[in-house]
Amino acid sequence: MTRLLDVENLTLQFDTDEGRITAVDNVSFSLEAGEVMGLVGESGSGKSVTAKSLMKLNASNAHYSDDTKITLHLEDGPIDIMSLKNSKEMQVVRGGAISMIFQEPMASFAPAISIGDQMVEQLLIHTDMNSKKAKEVSIEMLDRVGISDASTRFKQFAFELSGGMRQRAMIAMALSTKPKLLIADEPTTALDVTIQAQVIDLMKDLVTEFGMGIIFITHDLGVIAQTADSVAVMYLGRVIEQGPVREVIRTPAHPYTQGLLAALPDLDNLDTPLKPIPGDIPSPLERPPGCVFNTRCPKVVGDVCSTVVPDFANMTEHHKAACHLYTQPQNGGSAK
Amino acid sequence: MYQFARFAVIRAALAVLTLVLVSFIVFSLMELVPGDCAERYIAFKASQGSVISAADVDAERVRLGLNQPYVQRWGIWIVNAFQGEFGDSCIQRLNISQLLGQKFWISLGLAMSALLLAYVIAIPVGIIAATSKNATLNNSLRLVSYLGLALPNFLLALMIMLFSTVVFGDSLTGLFSKEFRDAAWSWAKLRDFLGHAWLPVFILAWSATAFAIQTVRALMSDEVGKLYVTAAAARGVSGRQLLWRYPARHALGPIINSLGFDLNRIFNELPIVALILTLTEAGSLLIEALARSNDQQMAGAIIFMLTASIVGLNFVTDIILALTDPRVRRSILG
Repeated sequence: MTRLLDVENLTLQFDTDEGRITAVDNVSFSLEAGEVMGLVGESGSGKSVTAKSLMKLNASNAHYSDDTKITLHLEDGPIDIMSLKNSKEMQVVRGGAISMIFQEPMASFAPAISIGDQMVEQLLIHTDMNSKKAKEVSIEMLDRVGISDASTRFKQFAFELSGGMRQRAMIAMALSTKPKLLIADEPTTALDVTIQAQVIDLMKDLVTEFGMGIIFITHDLGVIAQTADSVAVMYLGRVIEQGPVREVIRTPAHPYTQGLLAALPDLDNLDTPLKPIPGDIPSPLERPPGCVFNTRCPKVVGDVCSTVVPDFANMTEHHKAACHLYTQPQNGGSAK
Repeated sequence: MYQFARFAVIRAALAVLTLVLVSFIVFSLMELVPGDCAERYIAFKASQGSVISAADVDAERVRLGLNQPYVQRWGIWIVNAFQGEFGDSCIQRLNISQLLGQKFWISLGLAMSALLLAYVIAIPVGIIAATSKNATLNNSLRLVSYLGLALPNFLLALMIMLFSTVVFGDSLTGLFSKEFRDAAWSWAKLRDFLGHAWLPVFILAWSATAFAIQTVRALMSDEVGKLYVTAAAARGVSGRQLLWRYPARHALGPIINSLGFDLNRIFNELPIVALILTLTEAGSLLIEALARSNDQQMAGAIIFMLTASIVGLNFVTDIILALTDPRVRRSILG
């Protein structure tokens, strides 16, 4: 496999009326071509902000730290995304080498512009097709994602399609420029479970066919288990555990990941009470010092949790967790 | 195409129906005012020194058809009104259409020009205000816009008149110079008219612009924050294409919708401005008719024509909206 994306020390703060808040704190990960990476966390954990950083799509009050480095490895050489200045330069990663699909397919299509016009527009920006060719390619793509009667749909507007159909059209549009990386921000959350499965299958097929990397953002560990090769769990702007998806889900190391998995309803035994993680995710304005999870953690090992930011400890070669359980030898070293 | 024609016809029918309803309300209000046209005229005559008996009043009623039932009189009035015929003024005993004719068109022209001017300024300024991050620019726009909203039109008119009288020795009142007032229309008269008309248009547009800027800015700020704009940016759409094709294009519908409302506001302000600038050719007739001489026929005719203008404009904006917004279009074409 070849390396597609390197994110190093991504730190992002927003200037707000209440002060400067940290949305993403020192996040690093990388992605191989053809790999599906799940980015998991509750709302407010910074997963969408992280994804948008890859296209520098965050609002203008966003400040990236100086040591933030995001590199996209393309055939023509690496692109340093943080150094892209204006929107013309950023077109390479916006809709070109990177495409993004959003949670609400209805809201992500412009309501008064036909689906076809929006697809053609993107192709005209990123390729040297003429509009006739762009139209052909768009209809082909719509057909490819399983939309029947594609040439009619091409002329229609988002409000005329069903939810699943819209998300398919969104995927068709995102893939039409043959991006190397697809960011899917909760692409199935707004869909019915049955449609969800279809859309996920479709995406998996397309990854194989197009050989691109996917960053799949979700709060649903079930979806991740089905879809992803690797997973990074985020909490309050930090990655607290990452590794191959099976290892993380079967042997979660961080108490937060353990809590997330325990909170999933058990369909085999419906009488078991749900076990939610106690408390709420703290406001980004009041980030706890030390380990960000210490205010809700059932396994606090001592003062160190609320004073020292834990480093990553390796569970296995690729599976690592940032927790003092594994950095404090006096507490039994490796808990596993 | 056929369906669109059907839609236009249905909307036109609805507009006419609205007008009929409004005419009923206007007519009823005219009827609710104590006394009728006959009494009013006789009272006017009496004040001029004539001796009038109750029999004279009754004779006048029969002459004016006021002894007929209410609904029948309304029916006659409305049928005539749609033909632009409003009968005679109660007091002046002159044909209202002839009295109003040109004055109405001048008033409408002033109001429409003010509306046009307001939006020609407000659309670009509002869009810039909504998208610019320049705090100084935004705050000064806000200040000017609040000034426009807070400063009453009549005060502005008085200030300009005062200034002009002191500096130029011309109070800038009226719509025509003396020599053109009763002259037939000609290029010279038109030039003279335009030379006078800019001031009332400017004053009327003053607060309308401030109001429209607020509307455009609010609508644009709304659209700019929507997901489809982010999604378009994520596809590489940028710069002017992103601004005009996405949020501006989608804010247009509600802006078009607000036109009718704004025309209404401008019409409401016209009489006061006309009074101060002594534009006898414009809306001050309404105040004259309503407040001074209690001339029901005249007031009814004016209100009817104002309403007809607003209903007419709303009809036009409905059609434009259907042409520009696919959601509206599809809901019509089914």
